Amino acid sequence: MTLAPGPDTRADSEPPDVPGFRTWRGLYLFVFGWFVLVLALLTAFTAIFS
Amino acid sequence: MNLADWIVLLGTLVGIAAYAAWRTRNIRSLNTYLRGSTSTGWGTIGLSVMATQASAITFLSIPGQGFESGMGFVQNYFGLPLALIIVCAVFLPMYRRLNVYTAYEFLGQRFDEKTRLLGAGLFLLQRGLAAGVTIYAPAIIISTVLGWRIDLVIVFTGLLVIVYTVTGGSEAVALTHKWQMTMISAGMATALVVLLLRLPDGLGFTGAAHVAGALGKLQAVDFSLDPSRRYTVWTGVFGGLFLSLSYFGTDQSQVQRYIGGASLREGRLGLMFNAVLKIPMQFVILLIGALLFVFYQFAPHPVFFNQAEWNRHAQDGKFAALEARHASALAQSQSAIRAWLEARASDDAAREASARAAMVAANDRADAIRVEARAAIAAADPRAKTKDSDYVFITFILTELPHGTIGLLVAVMFAAALSSKAAELAALGTTTTIDLWRHFRPLAAADERRDVRVARRFTAMWGLVAVAFALFAGFAENLIEAINILGSIFYGVLLGLFLVAFFLRHVGGSAVFFAAVAAEALVIVMYFSLNIGYLWYNIIGCAACVAFSLVLQTVLPPRVRADEVRAG
Repeated sequence: MTLAPGPDTRADSEPPDVPGFRTWRGLYLFVFGWFVLVLALLTAFTAIFS
Repeated sequence: MNLADWIVLLGTLVGIAAYAAWRTRNIRSLNTYLRGSTSTGWGTIGLSVMATQASAITFLSIPGQGFESGMGFVQNYFGLPLALIIVCAVFLPMYRRLNVYTAYEFLGQRFDEKTRLLGAGLFLLQRGLAAGVTIYAPAIIISTVLGWRIDLVIVFTGLLVIVYTVTGGSEAVALTHKWQMTMISAGMATALVVLLLRLPDGLGFTGAAHVAGALGKLQAVDFSLDPSRRYTVWTGVFGGLFLSLSYFGTDQSQVQRYIGGASLREGRLGLMFNAVLKIPMQFVILLIGALLFVFYQFAPHPVFFNQAEWNRHAQDGKFAALEARHASALAQSQSAIRAWLEARASDDAAREASARAAMVAANDRADAIRVEARAAIAAADPRAKTKDSDYVFITFILTELPHGTIGLLVAVMFAAALSSKAAELAALGTTTTIDLWRHFRPLAAADERRDVRVARRFTAMWGLVAVAFALFAGFAENLIEAINILGSIFYGVLLGLFLVAFFLRHVGGSAVFFAAVAAEALVIVMYFSLNIGYLWYNIIGCAACVAFSLVLQTVLPPRVRADEVRAG
């Protein structure tokens, strides 16, 4: 058995190289924010058309 | 279908397969064969992940789901973006750092060989048994509608996918996925545009959306806490997170799509591409179904969309009477919709409410006749297939689209079947080669060329098994549901193994192995003794595996734990 390796800090220190994002954490927050926005839009869609 | 449709259909399907086989014909490196090209970018990885998940049933059944039950199914995908963030942050960096070919190889490095074999065995059992379904399920629908022989459809699609997957392995799969997804997107966009153009004059998208909404087809989100409701925001976020995490994080057919590529960055961006686009894509596919519902309020359509099944049983006056009553109910429903649209434009709230109630009642009457039609078919033949929503979209394609685009849309269905099948075959071949063959013949692993030859043979073997199963499935259709159930019975424990591996650092191989065996036994006993929805077994299996691992780790004799730590 090997102990489970901890979080890979080297992987997270490598920048995503996407304009506007300096860290992966920032990119994940953007994707999460996008999900919340989509949920809000679907809620509005349901309210308008149902 | 005319000559133009056949040219488009065969040209696109065979053209893409031949191009991929030709481009990848000289692969000799095991790494390229199993993980794809080392220069693959995030766009190709993203499309490949998407194509693997989207089977032909996605494009045949989901519009039918929108037609029949509305948009609520989109909530099933709410857990997917969250799961992909976890896979990106935790699973993918670990797989790349340990340089593994399969997800189960990681279990071997983290725990021990018996746990690795258990993980690989669970995957092979589940995917291997399901191997024929991804070919059979669309083949039965397409062959029924077009009057083709199902055995020929199965053999054609099976051999096509075997040829390019065996030739080029993972690289050919990724290459074909890119072009197949491009074609699928173009085909679905064409169908949506034609559908919008075919709506009655003056109705337009907004009018159609208001009609669909008033008739209960556009409720995309439901915040209800009622556990009896099948699709809610909560089941989507929590259940969907669970399912997506096991599918994207531990199923080799997905892991193989993002584990290769030029760098960790490319794999991560490919997964984020899916996290952003998947819900909007499913929304559009369901919306096509809801708009088809409105379209068929104004266009004549059969009382039962699977016309082959209907014609097989519609021998007496009872069926003719149902057809006549349905046509009459449809005319009344159409008048009621027009009356509601006029009332809505009049700004008279009372008139609008009254017209809406009349429209809903007229629609309910038409629906009731469709239910009667299904009951009549079931009464005539208890073994008949009474679910006709899968035939709604394909009926629209064949009757409303111009020639050329019919061929394109039928090609879309086949491309989706080929794309998910190819990923499955590559994953089955890779897992059999790496986790079984190389495990039991470790000395042979040094010969890379031989490894590639062996991987090709195993991939071909699984392809032939899939074709044979699909041909056999016609004689035992209830096997399909049994296989879905079997998947739920194994998926949860498999995810449990990986969650322990990633998040419970002190748990060792013996504890997790026996915990997984006990959890699997518990799930099987529960399945045979309880009557609950089979999707729950995903959560039960995973929770049991994690909990049993923690308990066993504390009660195992200290000697076993010490041996494991020394071995590590």
